[in-house]
Amino acid sequence: MAIDGSKIVHAVMEGSRIRESKGIIPLFGVYLSIASVQYYNTLSFEFENKLRGERAAEAEALLVKAAQECGYATFQGIRNSWEWGEIVKPMIETKEDQIEGFTAVSVAFGWGDLVVKELIPHEKLVIRVTDSYEARGHLEHYGMTESGKCYMLRGVAGAFMDLLYGDDYPDGCFDYSAQEPFCRAKGDPYCEFVARKSSD
Amino acid sequence: MTAFNWQSELARDGSRVFVAGLPVAMHCHHYNINLQKTLEDTLGDEGIQLLFHSAEEANRIGFTSFFNEYRQLKTNKSKLEMAAVIYQNSGFGIIHLQGVNRQGGTILSPSSHHVTGWLAKHGLRDTPGCHFTRGWIAGVLEAVFDKPAGHYTIEETHCKMMRDKECVFQVTGV
Ligand SMILES: [Zn+2]
Ligand SMILES: [Zn+2]
Repeated sequence: MAIDGSKIVHAVMEGSRIRESKGIIPLFGVYLSIASVQYYNTLSFEFENKLRGERAAEAEALLVKAAQECGYATFQGIRNSWEWGEIVKPMIETKEDQIEGFTAVSVAFGWGDLVVKELIPHEKLVIRVTDSYEARGHLEHYGMTESGKCYMLRGVAGAFMDLLYGDDYPDGCFDYSAQEPFCRAKGDPYCEFVARKSSD
Repeated sequence: MTAFNWQSELARDGSRVFVAGLPVAMHCHHYNINLQKTLEDTLGDEGIQLLFHSAEEANRIGFTSFFNEYRQLKTNKSKLEMAAVIYQNSGFGIIHLQGVNRQGGTILSPSSHHVTGWLAKHGLRDTPGCHFTRGWIAGVLEAVFDKPAGHYTIEETHCKMMRDKECVFQVTGV
């Protein structure tokens, strides 16, 4: 059975409306927050600006790392959550279907219109996004640039492969890593993330 | 007070998600706390300042446009009440804004996303850690009282990340 993303979107939209008395949103095994994309974009791109020059590569690596660790822990929580068991699991037939479940949750979270373009088990994952909030934010506030700017999605793409084919949780984080060869922030028609086994 | 209809205000347009017309993203405590730790570890005080500034700027702009839409919120008191409702409904926690006016005051927060998230991931710390919330407060107050960015200084004098009973923020207008 194919994954019905709309069911997942619906569950997130309904679940994120449930507020407990402390103002915390517990959903899919994590605590969720809803913040303006401008907050995340300012944080990432100004962090990068501060490390401009010699430390530019460090900024990029740190932002991808923060997202990959998060994606790894988050989606591990998500795939073990009650909601996943109820809503997503019944739609999953193969291990590879999990990725479709992960991308549907990402879409529901407002991260962009993620589509899996290619998945070679253990080897390669290609995810395409035509409207990433990072690329859109970069274009709106900083203009066109020369390199991919979607550090959050890049880390998350690596984490998806870590969870499927890396060492057992929690030892598999960074077994895979992703590049972003195409990004709307550098004039490409879409962003594309390619995750492969890490080279080290 | 004016009700905020979360059912209709949290909306989608294709893959994008909006609250009251402003684009938002849902992220969990792993990401929010990872970003905070990365900035603090890499840049120290400058990273803390950036966390504050990013939240302040996003909130000042966001709430200014929100109050322009919600004309029925006429008094500063009702605007502050609404801001606290939105804070809670965004999953950030509970914040009491009653003790603050144009000049400043004291704000209490008995529970928060960042506190819960930080403690779950890293345990207690020995400095106050609610930089996001400080920036969030500054941005809201600037929008409510129509002040420029940087007008308010927010100091967190007690923090639950340090085992205090609640987070306490002292607000001073410049
Ligand atoms: Zn991109
Ligand atoms: Zn605190």
